Order: sequence, then C-alpha cells, then structure tokens
Amino acid sequence: MMRTALAILKKDMRMEFRSKDSILAMWIFSLLIFVIFNFTFEVSRLVMLEIAPGLLWVAFVFSGMFGLNQSFAIEKENGNLRAMALMPVDGGEIYIGKFLSVTLIMLMFEALIFPIFIIFYDLQLSMGMFRLIPVLLAGTIGFTSLGTILSAVAVHTRNQQVLLSLLLWPLVTPIIIWSVTLTGMVIDGEVTQSFYPLLLRVGAFDVIFFTLSYMLFDFILED
Amino acid sequence: MSVPALDVSGVSKDFGRIIALRGVTFSVQAGEFVSILGRNGAGKTTLLNVVSGISRPSEGSVRLFGTDPGDRENKAKLAVISHEMFLYGNLTAVENLQYYSRVYNISDAAARIDAVLQNVELTHRRFDLVATYSRGMTQRLTIARALLHQPSLLLLDEPFTGLDQHAIGMLITLLLKQKEMGRTILLTTHDLHTAAELSDRYLVISKHKIVRDGIMSDTTPDQIRETFFSSEAGDGNS
Repeated sequence: MMRTALAILKKDMRMEFRSKDSILAMWIFSLLIFVIFNFTFEVSRLVMLEIAPGLLWVAFVFSGMFGLNQSFAIEKENGNLRAMALMPVDGGEIYIGKFLSVTLIMLMFEALIFPIFIIFYDLQLSMGMFRLIPVLLAGTIGFTSLGTILSAVAVHTRNQQVLLSLLLWPLVTPIIIWSVTLTGMVIDGEVTQSFYPLLLRVGAFDVIFFTLSYMLFDFILED
Repeated sequence: MSVPALDVSGVSKDFGRIIALRGVTFSVQAGEFVSILGRNGAGKTTLLNVVSGISRPSEGSVRLFGTDPGDRENKAKLAVISHEMFLYGNLTAVENLQYYSRVYNISDAAARIDAVLQNVELTHRRFDLVATYSRGMTQRLTIARALLHQPSLLLLDEPFTGLDQHAIGMLITLLLKQKEMGRTILLTTHDLHTAAELSDRYLVISKHKIVRDGIMSDTTPDQIRETFFSSEAGDGNS
C-alpha cells in the first residue's frame, strides 16, 4: 500500500535536497516578512506579541503556497503527471506520497524559520512552547492535505498559482485562523481550557480534508 | 479464438465542442505490431490516451486483455513511450529507474536496471543527471524506463520525434527485438517508411476516424500515402 507513496516521497526529497528550490525560496520569503514587520512598524512589544502568531502563520502559508506550486510543477515537467496516471496503483497512494513530501518540506522549513522568528520577536523560550509542536503539525497538515489535491487540480491550468490561491484560501482559512489562535495562546503562555478542543477541531478538519482528498485523487489524475 | 490484447469498439471522444475521435473500432491480437498513421491533430494521441486508460471515451468501450484499461493489473502490463520523457531531470538515470522499479514493484530491480541501461547503451552515463543528457540519450533512457517492468503492450506515441539517425536506428532495433519477444506494439507515427519497416498491420486515421485497416506486407508506402491523401481530400467521408 505504502510502497508507491514512499517511492514518491524519497524521489521528491532527493530532488529537493539536490536543488533546495522550495526550502530556500520559502525561507527567504519568510525572512523578508519578519524583517519588514520587525523594522518597519514601530510598535510596542505588547502589540508585537499580539500580532506575532498571525505573522508566523502568514509566513508559513504564503511560503507553503510556493512549496505546493512547486510540488506539482516538477510532475508536470516532462509529462510525469501522465506517467503517474499510468502507474499500476490507486490515485490515493500517489496522493499520500505527494502529501508526505509537501508536508515534510514544509515542516522542515518551519523548523528552520521558527528560531529566527523567536530571535526577531524576542520571545521567551519555555517548556510550554512545546505545545506549539501539535499546533504546527495540525495546522500544517490541514494546509497541505487540502493544498496537495488542489495543487494537482491547478497544475492542469495555465494560471496555476492564481487558481490554487482561489481554491485553497476559502477552504483553509478556518484552519489558519484556529492555528493562529492556538499559537497565540502558547506564545502568551495563556493556554486556556479552549486550547485542546480547538486543537481537536483542527485535527478533525485535517482528517476530513485528508480522507476526501485521498478518495478523490483518482479523478484528478484522469484527463 | 483468444481474447485480443486490445479491443476498441465504437470509441468517440470529445472535449466539449472539439471532436477528437469518432466511432473508432479495431482490435489488436497479442504479439501484433500495429502502426497508426495520420496527420497531426487526426486523433492519434487521444486514441492512445483512451487505450492507456488515462482518458475515458465519451462513447464506446476499450478492453485491454479482456478487461478495463484502468485496472491495476492492466496498467502493470502497459508501457507508454512518447515525446514526453516521463523522467526527472534532477535525478540520475539510475535514480529515475530505481523510482520506477519501486512503483512497478520489480523484484530484481538492480539487475533489470543494469540490463535496460545496457540495452540502450547508457551504462557509462548512469550516474549523470538526466538534465545533462542530449535529446537522443533522453529518449533512449525513456525507452529503458518503459521496458523496465517488461510490459506486454507497448504504446508508442511519435517516439521518433526529434531523434537523430543513430537514435532512430537504435530505437528501431530495440522495437524489432521487442516484436521478436512477442510483445504487442501500437505505434503512432506519420513516418510511413518506418511504419512499413516495423509493422505487421497499419491503420490510417483521418479526421478522427479510422479510414483504412490493412496488412503491411500487402501494401506499399505509396499506396498508404494515396489512401491517406484521398481520405484527407474526401472530407472525411471515406
């Protein structure tokens, strides 16, 4: 079942580490966001702490869009998307492979950019910060599970990037808003009772998006 | 009589108002080498897409080895070679073939990779990135990739496009070898002479339908050309 998914994951990772196309572009873009917001707006530390979670997720999702676009752009090149449609496997397996590679690249990028975010916004590291791990995981998985299938839809069109944005944003917005709220709670050190139910809600959306995408991917590969 | 390797019955395909195929019917027996001849835009590539299961016909049916072309088992028996590489430029030849070996679940992958690379004379460049290959070398690797899982049915969509004489010669030799091995081969081309050299049978497709189905040994390239031009001039009613 997972043979093809792992083959796709390995292939994508190998290509990414060789070219560093996605991670480097995502990292530079995020760095730019942090620099602009940190040095352009002269606001108090309190206000900065208020907007920091939003900024972090702006950096994640806008950079993530680049990763999603890139993910299927490499498949469209040389007709590899057609080769995928010819593979003796379910579309779902191909979806899992692409989903895993996009998610892993995005998580690696998040791990690289987060320390810079902490430095720029002078955040205090504490044990409570570990609660960010499930938040980042859940938010990222929601974004990439939906983004992977929509990226596969958009890659067939001429305005791939525009279409991906138009399709993805309305659907993924609740997950991003909840992730920003959860991140805010962790950064402020004010994890209230609503933290876990909200995290669970993001997780539930992740499951729905992933399952639907898995089931529908066969139709995306067809002409 | 045994089940044909390929059975196409009354297949039509349209993309909205654009008609790509009209009532195409033919069958191919196992081990046959059939060339589909026609001009650009006649519907050759669409026909191969329908046969390979990538595209569903708007009308009619396609059976591969007696079952639906989209079946997993059928897909494992199928290989497509076209002007598209189906390769990743940022991977080496070996890495590309390893990837396809895993997808097609080839048990003796290392030995198979060695064998196919040797067949297409690319062993010396096996660890180079495909992006550094010439067009001819890339097409040879495309062939190696297609033969890796030892398919029963080869679908070749204009495979000679952009190749130099050496590469064309090598591809012809390879295809003749596949024919000897009993593989069923469907080739689309507009090169009548190459088709005549390779095929047992030919189909002429004009204006989205089959206008001639003939045995290659009974026909000369000039006769095929005549059929071809008369069907084009005859408003597709032939």
